[in-house]
Amino acid sequence: MPAWPHRLATLFALLGCGVASLTALLTVASIAGRSLFASPVRGDVELTQFGIALSIALSLPWCQLRGGNIIVDFFTQRLRPRRLQFLDGVGTLLLALMTGVLAWRTAAGAVSVYQASETTMILGLPMGHTYAVLAPGLALTAVIASIQTLQHWRGRKATDTP
Amino acid sequence: MSGAATGALMFGAMLLLMGARVPIAAAMFVPGALGYWAMSSDPALINLLNLLKGSAVARLTVYDLSVIPLFLLMGQFATQGGLSRALFRAAAAFVGHIRGGLAMAAILSAAAFGAVCGSSVATAATITQVAYPEMKAHGYHGRLSTATLATGGTLGILIPPSVPLVVYAILTEQNIAKLFAAALIPGLIATAGYLIVIALYCAARPELATPSEPLPWSQRWRALAGVWPIALIFMAVFGGIYGGVFSPTEGAAVGAVGTFIVGVAQGDLNLAGVRRSFLGTAETSAMVFMIFLGADMMNAALAQTQMPARLSEWVSHLQVAPLVIVGCVLLFYVVLGCVMDELSMLLLTIPVIFPTIMQLDLWGLAPQMKAIWFGILVLMTVGIGLIAPPVGLNVYVVNSIARDVPMSETYKGVFPFLASDVLRVLVLLFFPSLSLGLVTWLFK
Repeated sequence: MPAWPHRLATLFALLGCGVASLTALLTVASIAGRSLFASPVRGDVELTQFGIALSIALSLPWCQLRGGNIIVDFFTQRLRPRRLQFLDGVGTLLLALMTGVLAWRTAAGAVSVYQASETTMILGLPMGHTYAVLAPGLALTAVIASIQTLQHWRGRKATDTP
Repeated sequence: MSGAATGALMFGAMLLLMGARVPIAAAMFVPGALGYWAMSSDPALINLLNLLKGSAVARLTVYDLSVIPLFLLMGQFATQGGLSRALFRAAAAFVGHIRGGLAMAAILSAAAFGAVCGSSVATAATITQVAYPEMKAHGYHGRLSTATLATGGTLGILIPPSVPLVVYAILTEQNIAKLFAAALIPGLIATAGYLIVIALYCAARPELATPSEPLPWSQRWRALAGVWPIALIFMAVFGGIYGGVFSPTEGAAVGAVGTFIVGVAQGDLNLAGVRRSFLGTAETSAMVFMIFLGADMMNAALAQTQMPARLSEWVSHLQVAPLVIVGCVLLFYVVLGCVMDELSMLLLTIPVIFPTIMQLDLWGLAPQMKAIWFGILVLMTVGIGLIAPPVGLNVYVVNSIARDVPMSETYKGVFPFLASDVLRVLVLLFFPSLSLGLVTWLFK
């Protein structure tokens, strides 16, 4: 595996959890404001939805790189390593297909939602933003899973586990 | 092709792919998408593509699901901040000198850690890292140690917060706070059950564990003082949620910020620890939501085949006592849980099974109470799958840390704990008020 997907996935994951942490701080500020001064942060629920969705999407590539997506290995325990690698290549290929299609469709969704100029209820933010920020995480996952497929089929180590 | 045939084909393809090491999310998504395509009317592909435009956004922006990454973050901060070590030390100071006491301390600290962590795997890993070296140093038998730690890990989900319970709440549109309340007493019963198992186990096989020297009381109190932060956070988070001060998502945010502050203040959480917490949270929350994305596609396609509705109709015409049906469903979960992970199991089966359960008359419970009670039963059953052979996720996790103990030894040690699990499920099946009493009392 080349080094750049690893670096990018790590960056995405750290960034994603940074966003999640900021969301948590914002929520705490909103609770404090609400209970002490009767003034919550306006649109806190919308911002939480946006922040957490973004953080999950940014986490997806890292999970795939680490081989963190659950597989059932019970029925294939006795297979030879070559066959296992073939199956794992099929698995990562299907996962690449899934995340690739989702990235493409979510980006397309962003375009239609921007065109319809839909906005959020309270803050009036463009809804398209939510769609647009989810696509990169899904796309990088698809790229990483595709590279992993090649690695598996060439008989190399494809996951980043210790 | 008829709806039933397409449905069966999709389901078969999914199982085949799952068996062949395809990631569960993709094994649900790909057949689901193809089935949806085959089922829609012309122009068929456009329907699928339009559905997919919004599916990632629709799933990832659910406010009630935001609780999952936040609770995972809280659990990670607690792990990296050394809270599990303080918990184990305190528990060991009080019960370490009893025969099997360090195993009991592991259970107690897992229960306490479960109160800030919603994942069984994370709880098992954390407690194993702090408790296993101690148990080994005191000559505890590997079988007892690893089985205790794997079982203790299930308290991570049995005691709220709990990721599978959040998933159940979303799928069945139930109140998360009420489900958490309903899980509390059964979780404590589970803890007590495991302690009794250890006591009996060590009474029957004294060679498995040597008691250590009792500590003077001054040292015990000092060790106990080390756990006040975790107690404070737990009370703030759940006091707030049950008291109606904030929503579960907000509670999780408070918990994440609180554990972060405690970890930093105690000097245990440094920059490298924050980095590890972030990467750990990223891996688990991505794993959870990936399964969601796959299951959503499969469920959208299954709904088109109308299989769930037919199944529910078929069951309602069965001439069988309702409790027997619930028992069969739980048994089915035990079997499924042996080879499948708990989240995909819930996501695939609850949409199909839940409407059926709601039609049954169970102890004359009101619909909402019935839904909550069934959720707790399912949670307990799912916990069994985590430690039962041949594939217990917790056993894998514990044995990957305690590498000197063969996995077959752990599975042998797990059996007495499984017996207590089965007993507890039966008790809850016949006495729903054990779980629902607290819900009625808290949410009058």
